[in-house]
Amino acid sequence: MEQQPLLEANGLTKRYEDGALAVNNVSFSVRPGEIYAMLGGNGAGKTTTINLFLNFLEPTSGEARIAGIASHADPLAAKKHVAFVSENVMLYTNFTAVQNLAYFVRLGGRTGYTTEDYRRVLLRVGLQEEAHHKKLKGFSKGMRQKCGIAIAILKDAPAILLDEPTSGLDPKSGYEFMQLLGSLRDEGKAILMSTHDIFRAKESADTIGIMRQGNLVMQQSRAALSGEDLERLYMEHMAGVTE
Amino acid sequence: MLNTLITHELRTIVLSPKFSLTFAVTSLLMLLSVAVGIAQYHDAVRQYETTTALTQQEMREARGWMSLNNTVLRAPDPMQIFVAGVNDDIGRISAVNSFRGIKLTHSTYSDDPVYAVFRFIDMAFIVSVVFSLLALLFTYDAVNGEAERGTLQLIFSNAVPRARYILGKFIGAWLGLIVPLCIPFMLSALLLIVWSVPMSPDHWLRLLTLYGTSILYVTVFIAAGILLSTATKRSSTSFLYSLVSWVCLVFIVPRAGATIAGQIVVIPTVAEVEAERDAFAKDRWARYEETLQTTWRSRNAPIESMTREDREAYREQHMWEWMEEDDRNRKQVQKDIDAFALSANEQQRNRKAEQERLAFALSRFSPASAYHLAAVNLAGTDITLKARYEDALNIYRPLFTAYKDKKQKESGGMGGIRIEVNTDTGVKIDTGREKGVLDISDMPRFEQPQRSFRDAAVPAMIDIGLLGFFSFAAFAGAFVRFLRYDVR
Repeated sequence: MEQQPLLEANGLTKRYEDGALAVNNVSFSVRPGEIYAMLGGNGAGKTTTINLFLNFLEPTSGEARIAGIASHADPLAAKKHVAFVSENVMLYTNFTAVQNLAYFVRLGGRTGYTTEDYRRVLLRVGLQEEAHHKKLKGFSKGMRQKCGIAIAILKDAPAILLDEPTSGLDPKSGYEFMQLLGSLRDEGKAILMSTHDIFRAKESADTIGIMRQGNLVMQQSRAALSGEDLERLYMEHMAGVTE
Repeated sequence: MLNTLITHELRTIVLSPKFSLTFAVTSLLMLLSVAVGIAQYHDAVRQYETTTALTQQEMREARGWMSLNNTVLRAPDPMQIFVAGVNDDIGRISAVNSFRGIKLTHSTYSDDPVYAVFRFIDMAFIVSVVFSLLALLFTYDAVNGEAERGTLQLIFSNAVPRARYILGKFIGAWLGLIVPLCIPFMLSALLLIVWSVPMSPDHWLRLLTLYGTSILYVTVFIAAGILLSTATKRSSTSFLYSLVSWVCLVFIVPRAGATIAGQIVVIPTVAEVEAERDAFAKDRWARYEETLQTTWRSRNAPIESMTREDREAYREQHMWEWMEEDDRNRKQVQKDIDAFALSANEQQRNRKAEQERLAFALSRFSPASAYHLAAVNLAGTDITLKARYEDALNIYRPLFTAYKDKKQKESGGMGGIRIEVNTDTGVKIDTGREKGVLDISDMPRFEQPQRSFRDAAVPAMIDIGLLGFFSFAAFAGAFVRFLRYDVR
């Protein structure tokens, strides 16, 4: 039996007060154990879509559902089922990695974790042990992204939203990050990721959507794209050749 | 979750590098202020006791009851250590006699101008100026700073209710700033005990209420800082607004209120009132002189045709009666002058009171004014301090002069110098000098006007209530703004 989608956009539309259409009638779904990669240029509407899922913005029409709950109708209930990793994870620089984890995990509604749990998860995301109890002041972007994904793991939500998580990471860190996402998918998480990185999207995603000017102009499974040159397709969609 | 938010905010403030240094310096400043205040209080007590003893001695050694003059001193109060108010500006000493009206002179600043140059920085000033600024500096970026750093987005990707978040921010910041404020408060109280400042239970109650009011005042600025951080997107903007608001609320509005009230309700200057009073006195004495001359003419009329012996016998027979009549008239003149002066002072005080009411009403738009007014009321160093003493002195003065008159009569002297010229015995001058020292043990003593906790707290209530309202309004503003705050 096919599992119910954990992340679902139904005719999702966002028009700003100045009339700009950021997201236009976008529909897609992400099921447990699936990575959905949203590709698109700057201003394509990827981050706005994620913001609509997190209820940082109210949709003009349509809805974004998390675990079946419309996030604009009951944001608190919906957010219990989702974790979020932003493009540039910003944490408290005066606190250590473990202290940051403890705070955000408690805000995520999870309690009872031990220092050992924090140690294990930080090691799993690839943060070296000597950094665990250091203040975040000197942390690189890659180290902060690792802390961000550690927070998402500890929240243990069935769905994860990632907004260009590998942007600005060096190739090794990017690779490790995608490996980690793969393992989370294998644990049954539904992952929605916005990215510019066509290579990593093709390598890791189960479904790829291309957004342009707020519209979801293409949506294909990895299987359907197996013989295709994704880069060519992407460039064609970006240029509007396929319309 | 609220606990998590509060604890986090508290730790953020307490662990920030600026916190330790700032609170160490301000706590030291406050303790130094209290220590200096205690030293000055003890000096004032010593001066009060010495001058009072000296006055008593001078009275005992007076030439006679006629020349008995009293000098009353304003007793120092331990609350002046915390809130100087008008204590150092108004006079501490007033002469009490039948000739001159009550006037407090010799203020601390007029006696020791160096104190006026380097004014005493009391606890109320430190709280009003320094702690309000600190409260703003620690909270101006409470929300927009998190948004700028990007942590707000991560927080609200969780199921965190906005109301709970802003409440957690406020409580955390409040605990982070108020608890350290209580430490110098407690140490100050300890200094009072260690340095044997005579604090009555009433004083302790007033001090505790003053501490509570100070906390409420700082709360206003904590809430205002959070409000500014929710009303602006950038922390640099809220920082600028915080500074401008602080300057306006702490320095401009209180003074503007007084200036505007001064323009609306004009009162005659002290010099004008005194000139009017002097003119009346001059006129009254001139009329008295005229009356006296007429009276003496009428007294002398019947004796013009008498022989010298009859004249002297007639004068001897009526002299005391005439002198008593003259004395009565003279006293009546003085009474009229006193009544005029009292009425003129009353009028000026009424106008002043009207001006003060308006000034206070206008300046109360500033929490700093409300705090200052509450503090001076609780300490008893408010603007009515001078009037309270003058009223008490005006009650005392007739008691003292009645006592003096009674003693004068009992001793048989009418006062002044009595010169008797006799061709047989020569000139006899009676100065009325008493034998030995004067016994003033039964002299009515001046009762220092006392202010109970209730007397002090009732007028402070309106300002304490205003501070509560400002705190609530600022927090409610922050709460409403944050409900629609863009957390991205």
